[in-house]
Amino acid sequence: MFRVKGFFMLLAALALLAVPVLAQEMPTHLGVVDYELCDNFGGVTVTVVGDAGHNLAPYEFWKDDFAAMGINIEIVEVPFADVYQVLKTEFVAGSGAFDVVTFYPSYIGDFAGNGYLLPLDDFIAREPAAVWDPNMDDVLAPFRELYNKWAGQTYALTIDGDVLVLMYRADLFENAEEQAAFQAQYGRELRPPETWDEWLEVAEFFTRPAGATLAGETLTQPFYGTAEFGRRGFSYAWYLNRAASNGVTLFDEQMNTDINSPQAVAALQNMIDTLKFAPPDVLNFGYDELRDAFIGGQLAMVVQWTDVPKKAADPSISQIVGKVGVGRVPGFVVDGEVAHRSMMPVGRVVGIAADSDVPEAAYCVAKHIAYNTSLENVSTSLTGLDPYRTLHLTNPEAFAPLMGLENAQAYLEGLQVALADGYPDLFIPGAAQYQDALDIQVNRALAGETSAQEALDAVAAAWNEITDRLGRDTQVAFWQQALESYRAVGLIR
Amino acid sequence: MFSSGVKQRWVAFVFVLPVLVLLLSVSIYPLLRTLGLAFSSLELTVSPVETFIGLDNFAKAFSDARFWNAMGNTLTLVTVGVAIQLVLGTALALLLSEIGFTRVVWLTALLLPVMIAPVVSGFQFRVIYNDTFGPLNYLIKTLSGGLVTGPPWLADTRTALFTIMMTDVWQWTPFMMLLVLAGLESIPLELTEAAEVDGAGYWGTFWRIKLPLLLPVIVIGLLIRVMDTFKTFDLVFLLTGGGPGSSTETIAFYTYLNGFRFFSMGYTAAIAFIQLIIIIVIARVFLVVQKRMRGGGIQ
Repeated sequence: MFRVKGFFMLLAALALLAVPVLAQEMPTHLGVVDYELCDNFGGVTVTVVGDAGHNLAPYEFWKDDFAAMGINIEIVEVPFADVYQVLKTEFVAGSGAFDVVTFYPSYIGDFAGNGYLLPLDDFIAREPAAVWDPNMDDVLAPFRELYNKWAGQTYALTIDGDVLVLMYRADLFENAEEQAAFQAQYGRELRPPETWDEWLEVAEFFTRPAGATLAGETLTQPFYGTAEFGRRGFSYAWYLNRAASNGVTLFDEQMNTDINSPQAVAALQNMIDTLKFAPPDVLNFGYDELRDAFIGGQLAMVVQWTDVPKKAADPSISQIVGKVGVGRVPGFVVDGEVAHRSMMPVGRVVGIAADSDVPEAAYCVAKHIAYNTSLENVSTSLTGLDPYRTLHLTNPEAFAPLMGLENAQAYLEGLQVALADGYPDLFIPGAAQYQDALDIQVNRALAGETSAQEALDAVAAAWNEITDRLGRDTQVAFWQQALESYRAVGLIR
Repeated sequence: MFSSGVKQRWVAFVFVLPVLVLLLSVSIYPLLRTLGLAFSSLELTVSPVETFIGLDNFAKAFSDARFWNAMGNTLTLVTVGVAIQLVLGTALALLLSEIGFTRVVWLTALLLPVMIAPVVSGFQFRVIYNDTFGPLNYLIKTLSGGLVTGPPWLADTRTALFTIMMTDVWQWTPFMMLLVLAGLESIPLELTEAAEVDGAGYWGTFWRIKLPLLLPVIVIGLLIRVMDTFKTFDLVFLLTGGGPGSSTETIAFYTYLNGFRFFSMGYTAAIAFIQLIIIIVIARVFLVVQKRMRGGGIQ
């Protein structure tokens, strides 16, 4: 009896100790954005759905604000990979289960085009602006034009500005011994790779077995040059970093694909070759494994989403605090110049379900997360949300408590460069099918089930079949509309 | 007004009606609706309009390499995986039947995997198989004195399907063991004693007395496990996501992708119906075999 009681007392003591620690880490209002809260709704319930985990944390951070608006928040968490399935099922069934829906902007064509979302333009234009205006001009153009709009209307507000960046172990690249060894081996200076060919060399150079020396220290575990998102789901995006930089455009105006062109095949071969310098289980690496391998000090460099440098700066989970550099995703040389492309997979936006009973309150919740508190939400390591507004890029002080002012400035500069290289994910209706068809074949080629050429030939055939099945004429029209948006924001040159 | 016979029939009908309505609404109607869908094109990604296309979805399935790959993976899991469960389950049941008063402790311990939700065991094994920090490769390396390094179980096309199979074997062998143990308990003692008196050894008794009497139970166990394994989804979803490549994509997982990722409802219905037909055929074969065994008795 005493033991049981003692155990519960110990648990209670630990819980009490934990509370102040958690409370310290929760972000507080920085006061950078001028806004007013919506009038009190008198206790309405707004149901928010989103992918489970740290990206729903802001609803907990700002619960007092929602209470002040007379809004009870009910959170529905769904697995990361099931967001589309859950939302689409509820939308098709017309269940009215959700008010604020968090989704990946790849699906905006599907959701807005099928009438599942409420246009937000009327809310945005309401007065007073301090209450209703989410300052869309402040949202970086790619996110505003591609992530939020469909057919000229605004249907969603960005809350997470995903883009892939190169991150590397600055301490290793700056180490004199390593620099000399690299110079001797490759006849050039050691630096973060500018091209995908240099990427292979650098990855090869840093791959070492346990017992070898790295930056003057003996390795107790094997060390690898790099890793990829090898698990099915997003391996296609890591491939498209390469393909897009080698001039692959996916489709022309009439949706004839160039995904099996020689340039596309060379890009995939580069990714296959990279696996020689990655951990043996890289084909089961998703976001978590890729992040943990890097911040656990197993890799010299990696291409990842922009929240990873924030995780790398957190001493409670990272072994490489203060050792991370951020740079441009490498590119292929096209017409004598290195063409850099950074894919923009995932990202998160919030929209209001067309069948919501409380659209006004739902909009107030969405706007509070997407604008009023956005700087706080993207500058903490408690979320995986990434910057997407000018105000985020111009306030490195907000990130300073996490990573120091100098690192914060370097991080935001790297991010700006990556965004300039940004290449959008497909977001026309059927995007999930096109992505899956590419993903599985890239994955098959990585696994050695098929050659790069055979894999991409299969993708071309599958994409044509999908386009025909969904209706070639409508798909072509959607694609041309997407191309216009791409050009408008300068993402396609 | 009504004769008592008619009245009784009405009363009986009224009593049956709720169950009838329930069956029609949750079982018969969805089945017929799915059958109708299998002959239609319904691409919810772009439109809620359904168009009749005859046998096109079935023709597509038969020429779809990914469908056949998924079917092949599923049949491998079903044949090899269930066979391993049967052999191990029978062996464990024989061992347990020889154990005295500690049997209940062993039985409880061995049944624990069956009580765990597949989603939990999926997560457990994702950690166990992890190449970097998983205990399996650590044990292999430690026990071999560093001479042998375990493979990346989930990341290698040669081991990934086997890994899923082993997780399924770990979880469901106890179920097979329990069925066989129950069968062993129901064998009349005088039969085995008579065999011993006649000079049949342990294995003679097993092969000539116990196994023939166990066969009807084993067939039912196999039927349940075959039908269950045919629907393997959760372990694939959690452990590999169908990869690397398409090496672990099962037919249930492929059906899920088409239905709930691509919302290609007509094609999904067609491949679901193909699975239904296969399952019905398998079940029918097992039941006929079982019936013949029950009729045949010990040879």
